[in-house]
Amino acid sequence: METVVRAAGLTRRYKMGDAFVDALRGVDLVICRGEFVALVGPSGSGKSTVLNLIGGLDRPTSGQVWIDGVELSATDERTLTRHRREHVGFVFQTFNLLPRLTAEENVALPLMFSGVPHQERLDRARALLERVGLTHRLTHRPTQLSGGEQQRVAIARALVGQPALLLADEPTGNLDTTTGGEIMALLQELNQEGDLTLLVVTHDPEVAAFADRVVKLRDGRVEA
Amino acid sequence: MTLRDLLRTSSGNLGRHPVRTVLSAVGVTVGILTIVTMVSLGVGVQKEIVDQFKSAGLETINIYPVTEERLDYMPFGEPQRTVLITPEIVEEMRARDDVVEVRPIVYVPSGAEVYLELGDEELNVRAYVGDSTWGFGDPFTEPPRLLAGRELATDSEGELLLSVEALESLGYVEQSEWEDFVGREVLLVLKAPRGETASFPFVVVGVQESMYWGANIGVSDALALKSWWYNDPDILEHEGYDRLRIKAVSLNDAVKIVTELEEHGFRVESLRLILDNMNRALVVLQTMLGSIGTLALLVASIGIANTMVMAVYERTKEIGILKAIGASPGDIRRLFVAESAFIGLVGGVAGTILGWLLGLGLNRLILAVMHWQEIPVRGTFFVVNGWLVVLALAFATIVGLLSGLYPASRAARLDPIEALRYE
Repeated sequence: METVVRAAGLTRRYKMGDAFVDALRGVDLVICRGEFVALVGPSGSGKSTVLNLIGGLDRPTSGQVWIDGVELSATDERTLTRHRREHVGFVFQTFNLLPRLTAEENVALPLMFSGVPHQERLDRARALLERVGLTHRLTHRPTQLSGGEQQRVAIARALVGQPALLLADEPTGNLDTTTGGEIMALLQELNQEGDLTLLVVTHDPEVAAFADRVVKLRDGRVEA
Repeated sequence: MTLRDLLRTSSGNLGRHPVRTVLSAVGVTVGILTIVTMVSLGVGVQKEIVDQFKSAGLETINIYPVTEERLDYMPFGEPQRTVLITPEIVEEMRARDDVVEVRPIVYVPSGAEVYLELGDEELNVRAYVGDSTWGFGDPFTEPPRLLAGRELATDSEGELLLSVEALESLGYVEQSEWEDFVGREVLLVLKAPRGETASFPFVVVGVQESMYWGANIGVSDALALKSWWYNDPDILEHEGYDRLRIKAVSLNDAVKIVTELEEHGFRVESLRLILDNMNRALVVLQTMLGSIGTLALLVASIGIANTMVMAVYERTKEIGILKAIGASPGDIRRLFVAESAFIGLVGGVAGTILGWLLGLGLNRLILAVMHWQEIPVRGTFFVVNGWLVVLALAFATIVGLLSGLYPASRAARLDPIEALRYE
């Protein structure tokens, strides 16, 4: 199967005051196209750091990471931006929608940075909101939406750039169990519909149960 | 990100905090208000002066006789004239092809007491040759207006134009009463300090509204008055005329004549020379006043920069989100710079409008005060024209833009992970 993500010997060292903290101590990971992978582990195990490195928000201290064949650790800011714009979509625990924008405007926002014309942006946003079941909420602002609805908007926003890879960091962390289950079911559906690859960071075994494969992280390393 | 997206997004962001936007823009408003008011005053006054001078005629040249330097040990002695405006020179000028009009002028001695005998009434007046537009005087004054009768004939003798102000002081305020004076014979009496008097008969040919409280007479009559005053029957031969006013065919001719006459040793003034000097002074004035506004804008830019730094702090998380969903550092920088420029533009628009209104108000005020002081002034002294508006708005926008550069580059450099974690 075609590889979408390949990480080799990833380490990440943070400076905190005078001390150094090793968040990652050599992570190797391969994810294939269409896979649904859950990255689990206790807090401080380095789950989010892996996600950030794969998403191009951060650079590793050493090691390499390839996304769709492009090596990210040594590239310039411009390439990282393009990577975030074209290859990945982020879903956050706290949804991170822009409060002043409506649901459809939030979803359309990433396309503004890739230079898609205004009307096409809105059309694509509406289509995606319909897909996540929010046709009746197009012009609502985040404060007028429930937590589950906000996360659906965030998922639609992550998908609007048609990325190969969806990265979700504790996507159900701020939701009740029922709503969290619905969101996970939606993600599973999206994964099964096309060749969307999913990497979900969680510490919740029920969430991890939705995945095809579970990768466990402990103290900055992948547990065998 | 297209320009339209940029404008839409940045104006939307500013709309989120209207009060803060307005307060930040106030500094720019004050600065632009000052600049627009000051520069429009400079432009207006300059335009008025140029227009008035043009209507007075830039082809006009005034020639004066040259006198010896006044001697320190003879402070009361009249200095001797060394270069005279003789009748020959007047004839020479009249013979030229590049000259339209030549008018010799004689001043009635300023120390003389002059009054008119109008039947039983006496009226103190000032006797003079020519009208206010003959000199360069005050370009904002209105030229005299004829109310009854006719103008003086060229080279008139024994003819006199009365000022309406003088008649009004005697209680003659009706047009018909003024008409009655036309054709009347009057005596102009010149009185020396020691009491001797001389009477000169005149016929009133007209009544005019003039800045002088007086009697307008011809050159030969003025010479007769002066001749009696100095007890010198050949005064013209000894002193020449006091001034010669020449109107050239064109501005180029005027420049040529000025050069020639200066070579002859005359003291020459032309409107062109005065206008050039005035323009130079006005440019200095405008620059000075403009600088005050620029200083205000400098202060304003610090205010905008402060607002934008605050905005970057407040929106740290948003910046993180934007970066995560694909905004480049350049996109972030452009967004913040555009917002900052927008604040400048908002302040600029308000400042331009207020400056224009202030100019209108001040103009009315000045004219009202002048009218109240009975100074016959007219005109528009504050002119806001197209280029001033464009420059003011561009300047305001650039000030905003520059103020935003530093905050914007801070925003662009934010680490996305740190920014996303920020609450």
